[in-house]
Amino acid sequence: MKAAAARGLSPGGALLRTSRLFALPAAIPPPPGAISEHTTYKQSDTATQAFPTHQVITTLSSSRQKGDWGLKRPLPLKSTTKSTNPMLRVKAIDTIESITDFTSGADHGLTLRKFQELSLPLFAPQHKNDVRKMGLQPKSVFEDDGDVTALDSLEKIETRDVRWKFGGPWLSGMNTAEFKRWLVHAIRPKRAEFRRFLKAKLAVELLQPARERALDNGIEENGTELPQAIDPDSIADEQYNLYLRKLRSDLPELYHMVGVFLDLAPLQPPIQWSVETASSTTEKEPVSHTLRHIGSPYAESGPPPTHPSAGLSYLRTATYMENHPMYGPQLKHTPVQARVLSPRRPGRYDPVVGVAGFVAKTPRGDSISNQKKSKTHLHLERLDPSIAGGAKIWVHPQHAEITPIGQVRIQLADARNEDSMIVQELLGEAKVFGEVKQPEPAPTWSAENIRKRFSRQLYTSPPVMSSSDRYGMGAHSLGGKGYST
Amino acid sequence: MSSSRQWLASALRRCQQIPQQATTTRPFSSSAPLAAFKSPSEQLAGMFTSHKKDNASSAASAGRSSSVLQELLRVGSEKGGINASGAVSRVLESVRSSSADLKLSSESHAYVRQIYRRWTPGEVYAPRDLNPTEMRRWRRDRTPKRDILDVLGVNPVDNYRNFSLISEYVTPLGRIKHSKDTGLRPVNQRKMAKAIRRAIGLGIHPSVHKHPEILLRSRLITPISPPVSKSNA
Repeated sequence: MKAAAARGLSPGGALLRTSRLFALPAAIPPPPGAISEHTTYKQSDTATQAFPTHQVITTLSSSRQKGDWGLKRPLPLKSTTKSTNPMLRVKAIDTIESITDFTSGADHGLTLRKFQELSLPLFAPQHKNDVRKMGLQPKSVFEDDGDVTALDSLEKIETRDVRWKFGGPWLSGMNTAEFKRWLVHAIRPKRAEFRRFLKAKLAVELLQPARERALDNGIEENGTELPQAIDPDSIADEQYNLYLRKLRSDLPELYHMVGVFLDLAPLQPPIQWSVETASSTTEKEPVSHTLRHIGSPYAESGPPPTHPSAGLSYLRTATYMENHPMYGPQLKHTPVQARVLSPRRPGRYDPVVGVAGFVAKTPRGDSISNQKKSKTHLHLERLDPSIAGGAKIWVHPQHAEITPIGQVRIQLADARNEDSMIVQELLGEAKVFGEVKQPEPAPTWSAENIRKRFSRQLYTSPPVMSSSDRYGMGAHSLGGKGYST
Repeated sequence: MSSSRQWLASALRRCQQIPQQATTTRPFSSSAPLAAFKSPSEQLAGMFTSHKKDNASSAASAGRSSSVLQELLRVGSEKGGINASGAVSRVLESVRSSSADLKLSSESHAYVRQIYRRWTPGEVYAPRDLNPTEMRRWRRDRTPKRDILDVLGVNPVDNYRNFSLISEYVTPLGRIKHSKDTGLRPVNQRKMAKAIRRAIGLGIHPSVHKHPEILLRSRLITPISPPVSKSNA
């Protein structure tokens, strides 16, 4: 294989090509710090970041025992062989001190695994301020019309309301300093190009009425040709200036043209506009160009920096049904436990929970966790130090979305008592029908217990493989009681 | 008169039942006065049954907030003033639940105050982020690494009327903060100092404390800690 890959290359090139040096992708830039990080001084450099910037690597256990992680040099065994989850993040393959700089990558690696266990679909952001779209089910990021990036200039204009990738920035997300810098460095050099763009538009606009007039007069039937396309360069400066003046008085139209020229991400119009257009039932009213982009799900908070799924999940919906061996098909998916990271604080801080390693808001609206007498509500209101390992509540993750700064927001709903009972029954913590089984006291390590346990395992343990007289159906073949100490 | 005597008898019976339940539900109490505080109904029953005797538990509870209510109840029951049946048990129930509630919430508050990190939705956490060492890092103040005025493109001299901006760069005693605390570069630090001096000179910003609007706001959002029970005192 190596020889085949290196055949057409120079010896030096082949060496680099087959080198393990190029196996790791370059690190992506870290999550942008929020503006508040410059004003609030409380932060930690060592906290887990909102998304991984380095590739997380793993290796087989046999290779791990030898220190072989597929890198340039074997890694020290003392710090890499003890972990239950062998995941590493290589910061530098080879530093000037001749060492491989690595840390544990289990934080993001396990978070990804836990997220994939939730089997959540990723949706485009929901409309929060648009009254017309508030109740609509959010769309998957994998819808065919929106999930296209290879577009020509005409398709770019047509798909502006649905696509997620834009050439230009999202202006609402820029602060004054960024905007000024962007004007100087990115926009000023494009003046001549924009002039040509406008002249081409003007040429089309001038040609259109002449062509219509010709068609109305039946020139084509008489054998004469249609008026030819106007050369944009031939347009006089005076005519162009007049056109520019007219455009400047029609700001929505001008904004639309600038948006098309720079491929700007769509902006949400002010809220009262959308309310007015929503209340006006007549279709004949002229709709301003700014209102064209109201349909984009990314107009409110900006387009995401990656693909809006971030490669976390490829599910389109969550409309699949789970089956329980005893109770049959289930209405809801299996609920999961959410850790109460911080209960409600007096003041303005709402409770926050963590699901699969992601911080999430608690379920809103008229749900169980908001009913005053429910146990869930009490966990969210108070920190109970007597709960070992911290309080947890049962929730239904609904879907996830990627925010403009690359974070994952998981939408939660409350789990019904029935669903959480069924899960707890599977875990052996509750019983749906009949009495609740009291948890067994932890086994004490007395000499008698240890002797009993090991003697059972060694001498009287049933065979793991079933014999022909039971065919795997007998109680012995399960081998349950012998090991359950 | 006979009806009020009947009511008193039934109330006494009810009160005698309550401590029995209380002792069964709370077999282990941490300390004697604390346990007495946990179940004020018990003290109350003790007062009803033996208020002529020198009861140690009722003497211990004399300084507590619920003792006033209990005294009132005792006087009222002696006079036969409360006619509604079950009123005593209702009041007792509310006293008991509210005192337990208060204890739990003050305990919770004491723990929640030690969660220094303000979690925001979308962040990722690993078990490591929940340990005390990591949590302590969110406690301490740090100098901002970048000049916030440059980041935002704000000219402080234009913002001398912006009292929330001015108050941000003034200590609680009204002095201009040092650049090592503000993290501003020298040019912006001078501009900010000029804006503060200008605001004070114009008389639109106080010179010895932050702006009253800011003080009021911080007062409103600062949690008022619940009173800690002084049962052990």
